[in-house]
Amino acid sequence: NTFGLIQIGLILLCTTTTSSFQCNHLPLQQRKVIENSLQLLDRMGKKFPQQCLREKKSFRFPEQVLKPRQKESVKIAIEEIFQHIFYIFSKNLTLAAWDGTALQQFQNGLYQQIERLEACVIKKQTHYFRSKEVNRLKLKKYFQKIDCFLKDKQHNLCSWEISRAEMRRCLQLIDKVIRKL
Amino acid sequence: GQTNLKSPQDLQVYVVNTNFTLRWNYTGNDTNVTFSAEYRFEDFTTDEMEWKELPGCQNVTHTECDFSSAITEYYDNHHVRIRAERREEVSPWSSIFEMTPYVIAQISPPGIELQSINGVIKIKVSPPEANQVQKMWIDDLSFKYNLVIWENSSNAEFRNQSIFPTDIIDDLAPDTTYCLKVQATYPSDSKEGLFSPIHCVKTTRKAVNVLFCATNVSVLALNMQFHLHWNNQYKQLVSYNVQYLIGYLKKLYDDYSVKWLSVPGCENITDTQCNFSSIITTTSGLFYLRVQAMSEYNKSCLSNEVKVDPLVTNEIGPPGLKVDISDVLLHIQISPPGGSENEVMRDHYDLSYRVLYWKNSSNNEEEIKMKEIKQTIGTISDLAPSTLYCVKVQAFSKAYNKSSHFSKEECVKTPGDKILPLIILATFVTALIAVLLVATPLVFVLYQAYNKIKYVFFPSCQPPLNIEGFGGQFFNSPYLSTTEEAIENCSIIEAIITEVNQIDFKDYKHSKQSSRDSGNYSNDDDTSGSKVSEETLEKEIV
Repeated sequence: NTFGLIQIGLILLCTTTTSSFQCNHLPLQQRKVIENSLQLLDRMGKKFPQQCLREKKSFRFPEQVLKPRQKESVKIAIEEIFQHIFYIFSKNLTLAAWDGTALQQFQNGLYQQIERLEACVIKKQTHYFRSKEVNRLKLKKYFQKIDCFLKDKQHNLCSWEISRAEMRRCLQLIDKVIRKL
Repeated sequence: GQTNLKSPQDLQVYVVNTNFTLRWNYTGNDTNVTFSAEYRFEDFTTDEMEWKELPGCQNVTHTECDFSSAITEYYDNHHVRIRAERREEVSPWSSIFEMTPYVIAQISPPGIELQSINGVIKIKVSPPEANQVQKMWIDDLSFKYNLVIWENSSNAEFRNQSIFPTDIIDDLAPDTTYCLKVQATYPSDSKEGLFSPIHCVKTTRKAVNVLFCATNVSVLALNMQFHLHWNNQYKQLVSYNVQYLIGYLKKLYDDYSVKWLSVPGCENITDTQCNFSSIITTTSGLFYLRVQAMSEYNKSCLSNEVKVDPLVTNEIGPPGLKVDISDVLLHIQISPPGGSENEVMRDHYDLSYRVLYWKNSSNNEEEIKMKEIKQTIGTISDLAPSTLYCVKVQAFSKAYNKSSHFSKEECVKTPGDKILPLIILATFVTALIAVLLVATPLVFVLYQAYNKIKYVFFPSCQPPLNIEGFGGQFFNSPYLSTTEEAIENCSIIEAIITEVNQIDFKDYKHSKQSSRDSGNYSNDDDTSGSKVSEETLEKEIV
């Protein structure tokens, strides 16, 4: 049993050491995750329903979050966005009636990337720029708005479709930024 | 308001989840003194920054108050101030306390449910604000739970462990009491929540029927072909069922134990290995795998879980290599690992290739040179002619810090220089001509010298045969001193007689001494006759 523990410990150690090497290549992985996520978002449901157009709301994504000159802040901001999107899509989706497999793959992809970053974040906590907190709070506010919107509409079809379109727009913005990194 | 009353000092806001508590100090005379607070927050939608009464902190007698109902914007900057009041008197406002609720908020302890079965502890964690409508921590999926566990004995070691909302704590000693506590953390915000109260539980004995469980469960993956291997020490017949779980389900608070699925093709098998490539439909996503062993008594046992991150777990196989030579350029053609149709690896690993090449000489190994290329074709140009070069290549991924084994060595010889033979030929011909030019006169000179020498020492002329008694003296060289040789005059005389015209005269005295008998002379004593004939002959010749 101790041998099993040693094995697990070694595997964990190897996993953490390999993931710490991936910190430098986060943009490449993030790009792949975003590409994949966009494809799956499209595959999940059909075209945006016409009847939901009048319910459309402007959430005002804080684009300045993706603009700072420091690459590190942008990378961490992107990881936070993944975490928020992961959270939103874990809610009650029965009324949305989307493709379950595509949704599962979408969530799994985001989760994989979040796990990978955790090692990097722990290492880089000392470099974390507190001055960018204002931007991070704006980001949290943005996702809070979407969450409240979904709750108010009781997670009906239109609220989900509007949220999905909003997330799509958000990921496309990140995609543009990450290609420049 | 009078200025006799002192204003409160050292304002502090204490926040746990959405519970806001304001605390302060009051150093003045606190008899019949009440306190009232005001607040304002920066709302950028309205440009208002007006002070409002803080509900829950009006006319309070103690030096603390709860104003949770007032705050709704957790991400905005708030200002709070307070003053003391006594009847008509009011103190000046205290200094403003500035805060952003989210930033100073603390995470309350999570809920814990424990179950001790089978020598392990099953733990179920519920998030800090479970079942609350108004939440500070909206994203409860981003919590990372930190478990601290120790044996309930003196000088026990504390063990820190990160756990999922539903998790199993194994590697514990059976029949032992353990105590534990859990805190929720937000790693990205560097927040560590408050610890739960300590829970103590005793582990049971381990079930006996663990003999037939699958052990040493490991994954071997090459070129995106994933195989699960395990061992079993049990001698009797055991059947296996390999199950997988989609990774992200562990992050949710729902019970995922019912969400394990069977790997197609690995149900009810007796082999201790399984190819689960079919479930790895995409490289994005983690998976967990486990083996369920079923004994003949219909008892089942679950093995440990293995986590599979497809691109991290997978090993890159060696690429194929073909070399071609032309002049002094070596052309390399690499076939990517997994075949040209396997685009997954190329896409996600961002593969590059490391080419090693060296001169394969009979003496000790030459320096190995390296070249890194991104494409599957490349050329090496700094080669020496007429040399045997060997090449091998490996694929590597910088992003994932992975490299494959090297391909087989391919050796090829560079062609010789075309110009060199011509140079050699020209040099040879020139040398030949030069040698001939020098050698011919030399030979000629030598030949002449040889002739002269031969002429001196061994002249080719001979005296006529009919000259008698000229003995050997005639054949001595006129230039060299004669040696007194005892020459047989008889033979000379014969020569004189036989070859008449060629003989030089010598002193005929020698002929007298000759003791040889020739046919023309008789053996009588009368020799005068012969003398006379000799003399006449001499005169005639002369």
